Amino acid sequence: MREPPTWRLPPVWVLLVAVVLIVCAEVGGASMSRFKIELTRWARGTMLTHPAVHGLVGVRDVDERILDEALVKFDAGLRLFHMHAEGMGLVIIATTTVAATLVRTAPARPLIISLLTVGGTCYPLGYLLWAALIPYVGLERGKAIAEWLVWIPFGGATIVALWWLAGVVALRLVRR
Amino acid sequence: MSALPALALLLALASPAAAHHVGTYTPRDNEITTNFKQIKFSLQAKKFDVALRLFEEGALRAAMRETAGTLPAGLESGTRAALQSNDGLEVERRLMIFFAALARELALEADRQLADGKLSREARAATGRRFLEAMWRYYNLVDFAVSSRDNKSSTALRLAFDEAEGYVKTTSASEADKLREPLRRISQLLSTLIDTSSALPRRDS
Repeated sequence: MREPPTWRLPPVWVLLVAVVLIVCAEVGGASMSRFKIELTRWARGTMLTHPAVHGLVGVRDVDERILDEALVKFDAGLRLFHMHAEGMGLVIIATTTVAATLVRTAPARPLIISLLTVGGTCYPLGYLLWAALIPYVGLERGKAIAEWLVWIPFGGATIVALWWLAGVVALRLVRR
Repeated sequence: MSALPALALLLALASPAAAHHVGTYTPRDNEITTNFKQIKFSLQAKKFDVALRLFEEGALRAAMRETAGTLPAGLESGTRAALQSNDGLEVERRLMIFFAALARELALEADRQLADGKLSREARAATGRRFLEAMWRYYNLVDFAVSSRDNKSSTALRLAFDEAEGYVKTTSASEADKLREPLRRISQLLSTLIDTSSALPRRDS
């Protein structure tokens, strides 16, 4: 008689990282709300000290629109960090549990789990980095830096690991 | 599987990582355009007392006072008097002059800044685009009032805006340098509009 399938937990360090990520998301969300005025004031003040970066022309009617867009994106960066960190924390727990349960081969399992954990944890930090960079280097340059340092490498790692996991699960289904 | 196809597959699988959501921005009204819309809607509803209060306490009147030197004499007091006498058309005419003057000052300042030979082509296009957006934001509010009084000026202004927009979008250096010409035309057209509208008797008189 076949043994009934049971879920296996991923390593504890993976669960710890995922839970800490969710904690960071919640603290980030609460801080955004609590320090909204201070954050906006800091971002605006920093942008005003870098007028050339933001293309400020010294005319209120023109500059207010530029500053408003940058502040909206600054806020969006913080919000997207909050949402992605919450979501990716859960994604890490779910996908690494699937990997721990269904990926049996030794080199593949730790590799998939590591990619999912590192990729999923670092990806949301890209939004935090983008938001922090906007006042100093502007919208587009900040986005490009966040893309190449965080979003593409860590987002790519997560996507590759997810496809790999999907392939392993599909293969198990075929071999059944 | 050899290394090259494996790498290609890996990159293809990971490529969606380059597409990440960074939010969208919808331009908002500033305090002057917000106040204008509040006054306009109050006038349309024939709530002249509300419109007068909104004018007296709002950013539009403060801006009128701040820029009094560039406006026809008595524009602010005349607007207030028109609101007090429930004269919607006169209020509309005076607000049209005010926003035309705001757009004209922006066109003049844009022309002055774009004359700087040290600006790169990209910086010139970016500065021009931002000024155009700000000018259009103001002019657009009163274009209907302009067209109902002076259809030729309204058409000429819109054509000049279109032409200027074409120049800020272009990648050609020679085209980008032509931006100052429609800006000057816009400022001249607006100056004429302000002068004739300030001098003309009221439409309903």
